[in-house]
Amino acid sequence: MVDSVKEIQTTCCYCGAGCQLLFTVDQKANQILDVHPVNGRTNAGKACLKGWYGWDYLNDPQILTKRLREPMIRKDGKKSPLKIVTWDEAINFVADNFKKIKEKWGPNSFLAAASARGPGNEAGYITQKFARAVIGTNNIDHCARICHAASVVGSMQTIGEGAMSLSIPEIEDCEIIFNIGYNAPVSHPIVARRIVRAKEKGAYIICADPRITETARIADKHLQLKGGTNVALVNAMAHVIISEDLLDHEFVKAHTKGFDEFWAIVKEDTPERSAEICGLTADDIRLAARKYASSKHSVITWGMGITQFSQGVETVKCCCSLAMLTGNFGHYACGTGPVRGQNNVQGTCDMGDLPNVYPGYQSVTDPAAQAKFEKAWGVKLDNKVGIQLTRIPEFVIHEKNPANRIHAYYITGEDPAQSDPDLEELRESLDEIDFVVCQDIFWNKTCLHADAILPSTSWGEHDGVYTSSDRGFQRIRKVLEPIGNILPDWEITCRIARAMGYPMPHYRNTEEIWNEVIDLSPKFTGATYEKLEKYVSIQWPCWDKGWTDKGTMFLHKDGYFATPDGIGILKTSPYHPPAEVESKDYPITLCTVREVGHYSVRTMTGNCRTLRNLEDEPGWVEISPEDARELGLKHEELVRISSKRGSVITRASITERVKKGAVYMTYQWWVGACNELTISILDPSSKTPEYKYCACKIEKLPDQKAAWAAVNKTLLDIRMNMHIDITRQGVSA
Amino acid sequence: MNSFVIANSSRCIGCRTCMIACVVAHEGKRIFEIDPDGYAFNPRLFMVKTVKLSAPVQCRHCENAACKQACTSGAINIGNGTVSINSKRCIGCKNCVVACPFGAIEIIKTVEINKDGYPRKIASKCDLCQGVAESPQCIRVCPTEALSLVTEDILIGNLRQKRIDSLNAWL
Ligand code: SF4
Repeated sequence: MVDSVKEIQTTCCYCGAGCQLLFTVDQKANQILDVHPVNGRTNAGKACLKGWYGWDYLNDPQILTKRLREPMIRKDGKKSPLKIVTWDEAINFVADNFKKIKEKWGPNSFLAAASARGPGNEAGYITQKFARAVIGTNNIDHCARICHAASVVGSMQTIGEGAMSLSIPEIEDCEIIFNIGYNAPVSHPIVARRIVRAKEKGAYIICADPRITETARIADKHLQLKGGTNVALVNAMAHVIISEDLLDHEFVKAHTKGFDEFWAIVKEDTPERSAEICGLTADDIRLAARKYASSKHSVITWGMGITQFSQGVETVKCCCSLAMLTGNFGHYACGTGPVRGQNNVQGTCDMGDLPNVYPGYQSVTDPAAQAKFEKAWGVKLDNKVGIQLTRIPEFVIHEKNPANRIHAYYITGEDPAQSDPDLEELRESLDEIDFVVCQDIFWNKTCLHADAILPSTSWGEHDGVYTSSDRGFQRIRKVLEPIGNILPDWEITCRIARAMGYPMPHYRNTEEIWNEVIDLSPKFTGATYEKLEKYVSIQWPCWDKGWTDKGTMFLHKDGYFATPDGIGILKTSPYHPPAEVESKDYPITLCTVREVGHYSVRTMTGNCRTLRNLEDEPGWVEISPEDARELGLKHEELVRISSKRGSVITRASITERVKKGAVYMTYQWWVGACNELTISILDPSSKTPEYKYCACKIEKLPDQKAAWAAVNKTLLDIRMNMHIDITRQGVSA
Repeated sequence: MNSFVIANSSRCIGCRTCMIACVVAHEGKRIFEIDPDGYAFNPRLFMVKTVKLSAPVQCRHCENAACKQACTSGAINIGNGTVSINSKRCIGCKNCVVACPFGAIEIIKTVEINKDGYPRKIASKCDLCQGVAESPQCIRVCPTEALSLVTEDILIGNLRQKRIDSLNAWL
């Protein structure tokens, strides 16, 4: 090998599976020569298409958007043109505006969104430290709000810890897998691999999903329930387990409370009653419950198919309760598996980028925690829980009193103008906020509404730590030298803090930040860089810095839960239907799903050559053959899909894998942007939007040529807005 | 005997990593450096999904290949353990496409432009990565190990086992 050619191992930037990848780079040419997966704790040497080919955006091929390379500000007020400025000028501009707003409207007029994507845990820590110590507010949140917040809230309230109780490799040794609202083959192929292997080892797989997903296809029992009826199903399963005496009495007695209240609710939910709601048979529900209760190695895996509902938290609570009722916690290969979507959404929760907790899940309302962080950061801190980012419209356009409004929004590594529900309402809110800062690696839709744009380094251009979905801290490493006038996220935030007069330390590297994190978070204290170097992956809790503490494979050992008294609480709620149901004008239900080769808002994967070759704009709407026949649709033809909130064009994918009356759209598309249609109704306690259910209608477009022209016009406009000045081919049938 | 790649549908998760691997193998690593519109994306295996099954389908490398017999321009050869298409000789007549019982051949648009100004279109199918990589790259990248290469030895080994099993069935 030439001297300048180096091999560097890092963690994939795309999902919570946390696969280990080996880069071969020519450091002199600053060029990637090869990427392939290597052996890691979760991936066993495998990776999916995003791991293999998803690094291409580092080459900035400018397909959908373009990398940001210079800081820019709107010097002459809102809506004035963006001007490229020096970092000093940009930092001072942001700091001055934040300061002015803080002085005029108080610290709680500010909200920061941390990034669960490229920046990593150290940047996440700095973002929340900025909100709390520099601004003085707990208004700090991140995109877990729009995906797995319900899992965190629901699990915290029952078993005291909002993460996967087991580790990814354990899944393959489970005997029963109850997979509900989770499409692993699409969201985490490397977790799907464990499910496939479990099946080969003889596991019985129950899959509750309204579609025939790949997991449903290989399941022993597919419960093809109607969308939005999860609570009815899990309550009825609990009913069967209790009424047929399939309980683990010892476990329930020794480790749980709340049984009578729990039974009082599920008593009503007989399999017969729920069968009717869910569109299943009572026998199938009984079978699923009996199977689930038949083993001490049963796991429940779930994803956004249960959390993105207004009853998300309730479903999570009941899932945790099912595991408690059957004694499925505290030993190898059992428990609950809320598998986190984005690469570092677990980490961003770990770092306290949530309105209610400091790093390490220490409550902001706990005076002892408050005192500890006040001492560490040298300021007085607020003990009120902050507001969640999905409430931006509520605290901006729907708030009459300016004194109660959000006036400054600091967005790092997120694109709410693509990812949040009801985009029209969101855009209106962004324009209404006095000062919006967008700190990102790409031009994105939110940048168009920002008063300052701060360009940061991406995954592959900086060091740090991510947390995989199963609580595993793993290193990410710098592979390429960043090009342009860009800085790591943590450094940008530290500079703003100092410009505002806060004595933020001059960290020299991410390890110095990490040391501050672990010293303040008992659960993470043992996970030093040194140990991460040696062990590659350390699952929290890891309490001790000594070499013998290698972390924790599964939580709640021997049934001792992470609740204050160590006892789990059985909880659930009665079923209620989703907020917006089908009507005469909007007769079909819309559920948002995802595309395996694309990630999040698609700024990254949309700029990877081969991933966009595989799937491109304007995306798809999956529709049943019956519905397609009624509308006279052909496979792959363009259709118009509308809800009360908006209307977009996309392609019809006619498939027998979905049932009549329900359609499914992947949320990654910019032309066929399904969040123009979704509803911003929220789960009352987790504030997660009901992405999985709203009413829509589909129309045939008789003039397909004109429709394709319209799609390409929209795409052209998007590329222009994203400052791509190279002519690119359009899309076609 | 010719070898072939086959997919196990109960392991396949429909992710199509194999399809990209196929294109990257045949285009070479330059694919990540050139103009994104400067190459053609033509995987030589095809993901098929029905209600019950998901799996990529590709050339079986038949011993008495119907495609070879149907080819009007002598572009299809058998040798070196594979059935291969000589793209230079292919005139795009589509006889092979019609003849193939597996649907494993398709006509693709290349980035080459004919003298008449139209893009050159030719038949394309799996070549087991001969001449482009050490082994079929679809097999290498599959996250669930759903794909495997069936060689003569493996096939014969399987036959032997099946025969033993059928005898044992009498016990
Ligand atoms: S996206 Fe997830 S499953 Fe795919 S390679 Fe990356 S970490 Fe692994």
